Amino acid sequence: MSVDFKFASLRKQPVPRFMLSPRRILADVLSSGWVESMIPFLAFICVVVGVAVTTQDYFVASNLRNLAQYSADGGLIVLAMLIVVAVGGIDLSVGSNFAMSAFVALFCFHILQLPVPVVLVASLGCGAVIGATNGLLAGLIGCGALLTTLATMITVRGIFTLSSQAQMVEISTSARIDDLWDWIGFEKILTMPIGFWVLLAVAILIFVMFRQSAFGWHVLAVGGNRKAARHGGIRVKVTVFLSYVLTGLIVGLSGFLFAARQNSISADTGIGMEFFVLTALVVGLGGFVPGRGAVVPVLIGFATIYIFNNAMINSGFRGDFVQLCMGAIIILILAIDVKFRKNRHRLLASTYLDPVKVTLAPTRGMAGLMPHEIAPKLALARILGAGQLDGPEDVILDRDGNLYCGNRDGRILKLSGPDHSDISVVAKIGGRPLGLAFDPEGRMVACVAGMGLLRVTLDGAVELLTDQTGRSLLSVQDDTSIRMADDLDIAPDGTIYFTDATKRYDIDNWGLDLLEGRPNGRLLSYDPRTRKTRTVCDNLVFPNGVCITHDGKYLLVASTWSCSILIFDLADLAAGPRIFLDGLPGYPDNINRSSDGGYWIALAGMRNAILDQAMKYPGLRQRMTKRVPPTNWLFGNLNIGGVLKIDGSGRIVDALWDAPDGPLYMITSMREHEGALYLGGVTNDKIGRLQLAYADRQWTSQQSYWGKG
Amino acid sequence: MPRAGKRKGRLLEFVVMAVTVALVAAFSIAVDGFATLGNLQVILSNSASLVILSCGMAVVIISRGLDLSLIAVMVAGATTFSIFINADIPVLTALALTVAAMAMVGLVNAWLIAYVEIPAMLATLASAMFVTGLFRFAILRGEFLLLLSKSNPAVIFLSGEVAPGISTPVALMVAALIITWFLLRGSAAGRTIYAMGDNFQAARLTGLPVRTTTIVVYVFAAMAALCAGLVTSAASGVVDFRTVTNGTLLFEVILVVVLGGIPLRGGRGGVWNIIIGVALIAVLRNGMTLLNFTSQTQDVLKGLVLMVAIVADNYLNPRDTETDAVGDL
Repeated sequence: MSVDFKFASLRKQPVPRFMLSPRRILADVLSSGWVESMIPFLAFICVVVGVAVTTQDYFVASNLRNLAQYSADGGLIVLAMLIVVAVGGIDLSVGSNFAMSAFVALFCFHILQLPVPVVLVASLGCGAVIGATNGLLAGLIGCGALLTTLATMITVRGIFTLSSQAQMVEISTSARIDDLWDWIGFEKILTMPIGFWVLLAVAILIFVMFRQSAFGWHVLAVGGNRKAARHGGIRVKVTVFLSYVLTGLIVGLSGFLFAARQNSISADTGIGMEFFVLTALVVGLGGFVPGRGAVVPVLIGFATIYIFNNAMINSGFRGDFVQLCMGAIIILILAIDVKFRKNRHRLLASTYLDPVKVTLAPTRGMAGLMPHEIAPKLALARILGAGQLDGPEDVILDRDGNLYCGNRDGRILKLSGPDHSDISVVAKIGGRPLGLAFDPEGRMVACVAGMGLLRVTLDGAVELLTDQTGRSLLSVQDDTSIRMADDLDIAPDGTIYFTDATKRYDIDNWGLDLLEGRPNGRLLSYDPRTRKTRTVCDNLVFPNGVCITHDGKYLLVASTWSCSILIFDLADLAAGPRIFLDGLPGYPDNINRSSDGGYWIALAGMRNAILDQAMKYPGLRQRMTKRVPPTNWLFGNLNIGGVLKIDGSGRIVDALWDAPDGPLYMITSMREHEGALYLGGVTNDKIGRLQLAYADRQWTSQQSYWGKG
Repeated sequence: MPRAGKRKGRLLEFVVMAVTVALVAAFSIAVDGFATLGNLQVILSNSASLVILSCGMAVVIISRGLDLSLIAVMVAGATTFSIFINADIPVLTALALTVAAMAMVGLVNAWLIAYVEIPAMLATLASAMFVTGLFRFAILRGEFLLLLSKSNPAVIFLSGEVAPGISTPVALMVAALIITWFLLRGSAAGRTIYAMGDNFQAARLTGLPVRTTTIVVYVFAAMAALCAGLVTSAASGVVDFRTVTNGTLLFEVILVVVLGGIPLRGGRGGVWNIIIGVALIAVLRNGMTLLNFTSQTQDVLKGLVLMVAIVADNYLNPRDTETDAVGDL
């Protein structure tokens, strides 16, 4: 085959490197999974910046060390509270429990003169007993967590006050000194106090617990959905009970550390702690969310509230003002959280579509070929498999003349030759099979929307070749997975070139991509030898059909919404596409070789002047999609389909139109085979077969690609 | 099921009444001066504010809500009123302003719960922190106490008697009970409150005005709290913010409601239950005080009683934790 065109003299098609649209960034952020965890990070940054600006020398090493010294109590209790909140409860008794454990530690150390390890065990035991009481009532018996822990809070506080009043003087006059006790209270490792390291260790343990241990998973499952957890065979009540015990243990540890450091207690030890902890937790979780074991965000939330509290007190505000602020913070964050959860999908729906101004080249090269100027040749097509097929987007024939097509229900069907009346199932893939091609070994390769690129042998074995490509660096949305693999072709060296028509819409919503008009698609390649998927060219306007030129050196790609055919040089893909043909009268879908060295182009629908005009007004389309029901939207004319025949240089030589009353309507694919043209349509329930008068009756596409074989 | 529940619910009432009678008998024998008319008057006067608060809390709990800001509002209301009368503003104007301010707090609570849809427990917990912080910061400037002038006519009226033998607190207490009875049994809002407590989603889907009723409920609770605040502070001549921070009073109010037999999941109960609950607590409190128990000991004992009551409530009015929404604690 001779090359009838000069690649270098074709116009270049500019391809944007990335898209910068505030609306798109907002939509992508809203649809991302991490947006809810942003609250603690943003709050932390706000507080740190605020404090750094207003307070001199706040973030110096000595002050940070000082902060770390006192952070262990609160930090541990926040983690403790996280566990009960994760299991779906709450523990108001942490403050009283903390004070009681501290008292028990001091009592055991100073009055009973016990060795320090025993003191530690006693403190932990005290915390665990209070936790077990909560767990017994709230978990095993099933009472309301709030009231149960309120009751233990008051009771334990009462016991604490009674006992500490009785022992206060004796504790404060005790002269016992113990090296280990002081080591725990005052020693620093790597310049940081012991308490800080304990906090870090406990945080890591809880992190690992939530990630790796069966118990942690059970806690999250119970918090997420009690019923589902029970049905899943988790012992819900025991899990809740153990969570409270664990919480009590950690609080006991915190009380022990406090006792070792302060060596004293007062009547107001631990008072109001539950409010502080709850605020930190609400900031950290971005709301009050059971079933989330987010250790790191919660610690950040704690650091935020802790630094905020500390800085406020340092700069002369009183505790009451801090309390006021915390109340306001809780209300604010909860309100944002609740409203955000409720309205996120609405906001997303209203911002997702992001139209842009598109100006199409006027129709050209169609003189005397438009539907009203010539007879509708497709009206003569013979109908195959009428009513037995559903949406054969692409059709293909093997060497023996058997016809294959994808079906809407995810199956690949075979219409056996020569009369194609016998329909059988080749393979059940799932997804939505679109473009098809045969590789040199006679195996079928299929683009499946929602799944990716698959290989199907004719005896029915299905193998996934690829479903993801590299992530583009400059997009918010993770575009690793292939969303709508559309059509493919195989180069002489075996590399599969295929298109991902749009990264933003699913197969059911491809129409929205037209209304958006942005370059959302990409051309990908898959090398069967290295099994590597590459993004050849990102940001193309709905790349659809793919066809390797007859000489095997170039690649044609239909760009549907821009009504043009792009061409890539396979030897220099990085140079980007040039325009092979533009100003088509309709929306090109698949492209395939013809027997005379030219190409067939399926037109899925016809352009119309009103939509071309509407494409210039993004605001109009935005309002239209919001205010007008979808059935009344301005759209391309999909009721009449057609096929264009072009020669090797890109000149349109013939047009085969469907009659206004059918029978084929929207045509998305066609294959020439032994003098006949087979026509598939993504919304059709049949395949058309048109005998071509002037075609080479020996020519098959298999031979054209892979020789006589 | 409702029938069985009702019968079981009655059981708690009888048990509590029996315990009350037994306690009265025991205290009468064991404690000098318990079974006197004077002591009865003391019990009544001392429990006036508790009854009024319980009326507010009972209505909220019947509607399946929870108001943890009750005590904060009570103290804030008393503070506002005291500031006004200490500034020599006429009593009625001061009262009107205070009522408006506290109604505002109730309204904000209800708005957060019904319109912003924050779970009641968290919304009122946060608003309690906010209100307490605000009053101590902006009005009391860090103090815990605010003294009232005993000579003010409003204070004299509130701590005096409306009729011989009937003190103003007792009269207000009776009025609060009657108003609560009317609200729950005699008004359309009351029917909605029971419907909301029984099955909130069903009430909402039937088209009952659940949002506006929530406003009624929380504003009513705020008014009850204000009334209780006025009674308490007039009687003691001082507004004390420590009642908020130590949480004991809030705890007593919940204790009254639970002991009285109003299930925490709402939908059932009435004025009668409040009276039963208060009777036990008032007798217990009075007896323990006469026996010279310290307030900490009393707290410990009441805490234990509440735990028993919660377990009993859970047994008599079992809850399905599997259908709990976030914040149904």
